[in-house]
Amino acid sequence: MNEKNQVMISLKNVVKTFDGRLITDDISLDIYRGEIFVVMGCSGSGKSTLLRLMNGSIQPDSGDIYIKGKNIIGMSQNELDELRKSFGMCFQYSALLDSLTVEENILLPLKEHTNMSQDIMNIIARMKLSLVGMGGFENYFPAELSGGMRKRVALARAIALDPEIIFYDEPTSGLDPVVGAATDALIKDLSDKLKITSIVITHNMQSVFKIADRVAMLYDGKLIEVGTPEEIRNSSNEYVRQFISGDSQGPINTASPGTQMDFFKKVF
Amino acid sequence: MLYIIGKKIIEMTQMLKGIVNLFFGVFYWVVVGPFKSKTAHREDISSQMLFVGVKSVVIVFAVTVFTGMVLAMQMAYLLQKMGSILYVASLVSVSLCRELSPVLTALVVAGKSGSAIAAELGTMKVSEQIEALEVMAINPVRFLAVPRFLALLFMLPCLTVLGDFFGILGGYVVGVGSLGISHDLYLQTSFKYLELKDIYTGIIKAFAFGVIIALVACYEGLNTKGGAKGVGNATTKSVVESFILIILADCVLTAIFYFSNY
Repeated sequence: MNEKNQVMISLKNVVKTFDGRLITDDISLDIYRGEIFVVMGCSGSGKSTLLRLMNGSIQPDSGDIYIKGKNIIGMSQNELDELRKSFGMCFQYSALLDSLTVEENILLPLKEHTNMSQDIMNIIARMKLSLVGMGGFENYFPAELSGGMRKRVALARAIALDPEIIFYDEPTSGLDPVVGAATDALIKDLSDKLKITSIVITHNMQSVFKIADRVAMLYDGKLIEVGTPEEIRNSSNEYVRQFISGDSQGPINTASPGTQMDFFKKVF
Repeated sequence: MLYIIGKKIIEMTQMLKGIVNLFFGVFYWVVVGPFKSKTAHREDISSQMLFVGVKSVVIVFAVTVFTGMVLAMQMAYLLQKMGSILYVASLVSVSLCRELSPVLTALVVAGKSGSAIAAELGTMKVSEQIEALEVMAINPVRFLAVPRFLALLFMLPCLTVLGDFFGILGGYVVGVGSLGISHDLYLQTSFKYLELKDIYTGIIKAFAFGVIIALVACYEGLNTKGGAKGVGNATTKSVVESFILIILADCVLTAIFYFSNY
């Protein structure tokens, strides 16, 4: 089997509900080694839940999730932790430990999971920070950095252990267009050079078409379209077309001014 | 009404179950962890010891020294009537070492450090830092709860012993300065009826209170839900639950010591 066609993550009929509300509805999906797989969809469509299901933070109500051929459902904590050493995760709000400096944040996974000497770990931490353009900020605390800088440090932490898979939750949200484009370039670069499998959650259509190898559109917990950026761009699905064009009129259920007026009439 | 009582009972049961589970988790990492070369980081333990111990000395001093003074004055009021004012010294030292110093120190530390631990862990929880640790395959109990548990377990007895000393000092100031008891006589009477068991029963209580404060604060912090309001709730709950459990544990331990002639 071609390495590029090796399935890294596979979801089989995954269903997840919260308080009786269906969040992911019977999702089946294969993500291949080295590809950048982008999941797009409206707010509340279940994108972040899908990411958390894949990284084992939450368990589905039914269905199976295979990571590198191993089913993580019902896996023991030790086995899951062992698998997680090959993950990296970039959180939407960075989730850096604010009591540690930038360098200590990068050193944390290295100290926990390797037996390298302190000097080597320091070199690796500085190298990863340079890779994301954050060299020279080693001794800053996360609170002293801007949102964009924190995201880049989070990315440096995510690649500290040279993971095979990186999950990105809204990597460019809240960033200015230039830093956003630089982050996109970095994700693409990591995938091309290090053959990292990347799963990216985003609303940003520019990012989608710039970095994705394949794109999935999630709507109301359902995977309504999966394809290459070109296929998605030329999709005949009305939901996908409305989402790409960013039009307020269409089948995607948004609170229209009329509905808001009805709400106010009911309340007052 | 019945529904509210039932809901509260279920919540309380879940909380106690969660605290017991956390205790076993902490116990596992303290006892088994070192054999798997996975322990809490030493620097984390020492920084927590500094925070819960060294940085609480001033407030423990303020509380226990004034308590010693108040106790001396209240005892003097009664003992003057009996013509045995000299025994103020013994009453102050014994009641402080057996009861007041461990309990007051624990309440002070629960209010100061327990609340800070719950707020810190709660903020980490709502800002996804705990989840980030889990995704990095770092156990939050080992990484966050164990250093705080060990710090409180060892520093609360130390603070209690300091509290004993500060309280006796407070009593001494009133006894010698205001009640006219001579310096030597006050000290001699203070230690005449104070036995070693009075000190170590207080220290045993302090160990138990340290465990309670650490487990409650870590449990509430690690189970925070929601945003800023959730952190506020977790902090308040940690202090209230610690206070109640400390008093309850004090009652149980005092009964055990009393009925077994300790």
